[in-house]
Amino acid sequence: MLRDYLPVLLQIIVAVGFAASALIVSVLLGKAGRRTPIKDSPYECGMVPIGEAQPRFSVRFYLIAMLFILFDLEIVFMYPWAVVYRDMIHGHPVVFWSMLSFVSMLMIGYVYALRKGVLDWRN
Amino acid sequence: MISAPYLEVAVLVLGTVILLIESFFSKFDRRYLGYAALVGLALIFLATFFIAPQSTMSSAPFWNFYSADATSLFFKRIALATTAGVIVMMFDFAALVSSGVQGATPQSGLGEFFALPLFTCAGLMWMASAIDFVLIFVSLELVTISFYVLVGFTRRNPASLEAAVKYLVLSAVATGFLVYGITWIFGATGETNLQKIATVLSGTGLEQNAALFGGVLVIIALGFKIAAVPFHIWVADVYQGAPTPVTAYLSVGSKAAGFIVLLRVLDPFLILPQMQTLLVAIAVLTLIYGNLAALPQTNVKRLLAYSSIAHAGYLLVAVVSFSGRAVAFYLVAYLLMTLLSFAVLILVSQPAGDQLESFAGLSQRSPFLAFAMLVAMASLAGVPFTAGFLGKFLVFDAAIATHHFGLVVVAIVTVGAGFYYYFKVVRAIYWDAPPASTDKIIVSPLTRVALIALIAGTFVLGVYPQPIFDALAR
Repeated sequence: MLRDYLPVLLQIIVAVGFAASALIVSVLLGKAGRRTPIKDSPYECGMVPIGEAQPRFSVRFYLIAMLFILFDLEIVFMYPWAVVYRDMIHGHPVVFWSMLSFVSMLMIGYVYALRKGVLDWRN
Repeated sequence: MISAPYLEVAVLVLGTVILLIESFFSKFDRRYLGYAALVGLALIFLATFFIAPQSTMSSAPFWNFYSADATSLFFKRIALATTAGVIVMMFDFAALVSSGVQGATPQSGLGEFFALPLFTCAGLMWMASAIDFVLIFVSLELVTISFYVLVGFTRRNPASLEAAVKYLVLSAVATGFLVYGITWIFGATGETNLQKIATVLSGTGLEQNAALFGGVLVIIALGFKIAAVPFHIWVADVYQGAPTPVTAYLSVGSKAAGFIVLLRVLDPFLILPQMQTLLVAIAVLTLIYGNLAALPQTNVKRLLAYSSIAHAGYLLVAVVSFSGRAVAFYLVAYLLMTLLSFAVLILVSQPAGDQLESFAGLSQRSPFLAFAMLVAMASLAGVPFTAGFLGKFLVFDAAIATHHFGLVVVAIVTVGAGFYYYFKVVRAIYWDAPPASTDKIIVSPLTRVALIALIAGTFVLGVYPQPIFDALAR
């Protein structure tokens, strides 16, 4: 039974090994060559690495992000549902009604968010 | 006849209707939303008595996840009654909801405050029926996520905010344990349905250690929900910081749902003897820690938090003895006395704060509230002729029947500690002199009715517990 988990173990070994080897190789090879202040600065995807520790985001960002995640997940749920739908709908109409109620629940949440002015950026 | 799953749907619809009314109409008293929630919950509570028996149901795949037996119906009623009690308390707490928020009217935020417990209630009811790890997980998350919002509802209050952050972080960790445990159990048995897991576990040729490991992880996650030692660290701070009605809800609703899931999850793991040892250890730790840590408390909310840990200990004794009947009765008794004490606490603490001193001389300021608190404390301590006493009696009876004598000795000794700290509150009420400048406390008619019902329930179940047993054995 535990043999089934061998790929997981391999995955862990590969992940740890890759991280360790990257660190080791950079220590071994990275010392050579010219150093400049810009080369020595920590690289972070092109963003300026030095600034306030807790930069302030507009609260609208979080609201939009939350709504986005909700609807993103809704779509994710719909894929497995759509795969089994054709087989299960015969004899079990609950498959249809459960997805309808799920989507309408999200719809109600969306209407509530609209009414509370979440998407209103004027003020 | 109504089918059981419609109960949860009805609660959800009630919650969403209240939310939509709150968002579409602005000029009306938000308290009407609370009254609507109360009426709706009462109707759904009545509807639970007209549920069609499960045997007539179709064999749709749905019923692999959901059971509508007498136990789950019973726990659904507990969830509904708790939610109704909490909403009654919310009326008394309403004035504090939007305190400190800039530009807030006394009405702002109240609609959501009344609607959120309904979603929690639906989650608790689903948990009562869940017989599959997937539904257990989803309903647990529904409960927990609505609690995140409720705990931090008075967000301008730093204590509430701290409580919310602590609850969020620790709860998320516990959820992680739960999911990880479920995957281990699924990996070992290949099933998520509890009955099928039981069949697989009783068979041979199984990697038992993997299933056991998963089971222990699930126990850790549920130990967090029911506030068992050593997963109790969050309890005192979160209970103290959260709005008081929410604290009451956390300590009753969250615990009741945690225990029914624990009973159901442990059922397939009965045949593994290590599980029993582990639970006995947790129960002993919880009993000793909860009762001893409550002794020096001077803040009543904190005292009740530690008392809630201690009661989790007594409930765990019943779980270890595999007595579902004792667990159910104890939870009903716990519901009555905890809601009673928190309802009094809200009224007393509004001008003066949660400290023990604000209870000083309550007997002169409001004899009715003093008597209600006396009943609550006596029942929590376990004085005869109260529901709390009979609950403890049933628990010890079940433990002796299954030969857990050491556990009973520890439990009885810690009950003695309980008498000290519960009667500290009673002493403050009846013997300490009231502060010089105190007014009489006004109790609204709705709260008065609720308090009288809770007091009556405490006494009636203390001498005549038969209705509870009948409901369980239906």
